[in-house]
Amino acid sequence: MTVPPWMAEVGDVRDAVLLPGGASKEAWAVDVNGHELLLRRAAGGVIHRFTLSLEQEFRVLEAAYEAGVKAPRPIAYYRDLGGREAFSMERVRGETIGRRIVRNPPPGLGVQLAEELARVHEIPPERVPFLTASDPLDRMEEELQGVDEPHPAIEYGIAWLRERRPEPLPDVVCHGDFRIGNVAVDEHGVVALLDWEFAHLGDPRDDLSWPLPRAWRFGAIDKHLGGVGDVEPYVERYDELTGREIAAEDLYWWEVLGNVKWAVGCLTQARRHLGGLERSVELAVLGRMSAEMEYELLDLIEHG
Amino acid sequence: MADRPSAPELVEAVAEFLEREVLPLMTDHRMKFRTLVALNALGIAHRELMQQHAPDDAEALLRQVRARGADPALLPELKRHVAAKLRVSNPRYLEGELHGP
Repeated sequence: MTVPPWMAEVGDVRDAVLLPGGASKEAWAVDVNGHELLLRRAAGGVIHRFTLSLEQEFRVLEAAYEAGVKAPRPIAYYRDLGGREAFSMERVRGETIGRRIVRNPPPGLGVQLAEELARVHEIPPERVPFLTASDPLDRMEEELQGVDEPHPAIEYGIAWLRERRPEPLPDVVCHGDFRIGNVAVDEHGVVALLDWEFAHLGDPRDDLSWPLPRAWRFGAIDKHLGGVGDVEPYVERYDELTGREIAAEDLYWWEVLGNVKWAVGCLTQARRHLGGLERSVELAVLGRMSAEMEYELLDLIEHG
Repeated sequence: MADRPSAPELVEAVAEFLEREVLPLMTDHRMKFRTLVALNALGIAHRELMQQHAPDDAEALLRQVRARGADPALLPELKRHVAAKLRVSNPRYLEGELHGP
């Protein structure tokens, strides 16, 4: 592929491939001065609410990398690269497709995930002062209202969650989308945590519980932790490293919330298509996938 | 009454075209994935078109939930309501169910 002229600022670019995907952000695989990089650049589309700007995402990546988290090495931020904001980072190897990872997960992956998450939660918040916190239940209610379609099962889930909310833990820096599919994995385990655009301040159990919902087990539903392992050794290792004592019943509450979050997420993503922000058959179909999380959250509530 | 092919038959024809003639040409895994997503969308549309009139109980159930909160007595009816949606969107989901309806 020919290298676009605006890429000259990045360096001696030998090869540039625009990867298929998002309408709000471009991803380019580029080879620069012998290094394999990934270039993220703003595109025409409207960026999702609650996501970080490219500059903020780059700062979070820097903070995570400094804190010793396995993350792609951040390289450079560009305020204006051919008229748009962009940043570059190391292009990491490893599998990211959930269905392939759960087919043959490397041994000890669960414990490694706990170790990485413990490091993420130790990132000093003052290092990323632009991150904000919000109440997840209020936010779900607000987003569901914006969907303007009756979803009794989701509202039931929110009512149930409101009645038995566990005592909050002090906020930490959360990755915001910590699950299989957003982790590059090879035969030895975790290569890098990817997709930092949903980073925020929040309860550490927000991240810790996010790989648990059935949707993120990619068909391997008997392996509760992301389709790759058991929850107990994962939580044990996390507790050991952080000094926290995460109760199983609290994680159960957070798993129900995780299903509410992804049920609502599917509905709002489908509205990006329906409202014309980002026309895409993938986004469209998500509107009908919400029912899966609705069923799962009712099942979890019914059977404990 | 429209001439044949009917709406479900047209959807079926497009799905067969995608599956037999387009999908085998896809080499890029992202494009292959998106074609499968498109086929899934047509499958949902086909099942919905073939359905006898399903009762739309969402609004009524919503009023119940808003009036009674997380009342466990509402669970069976809510599950029936969502299961009916799943029979259109993803019938296989219910087969993998851990606890039974």
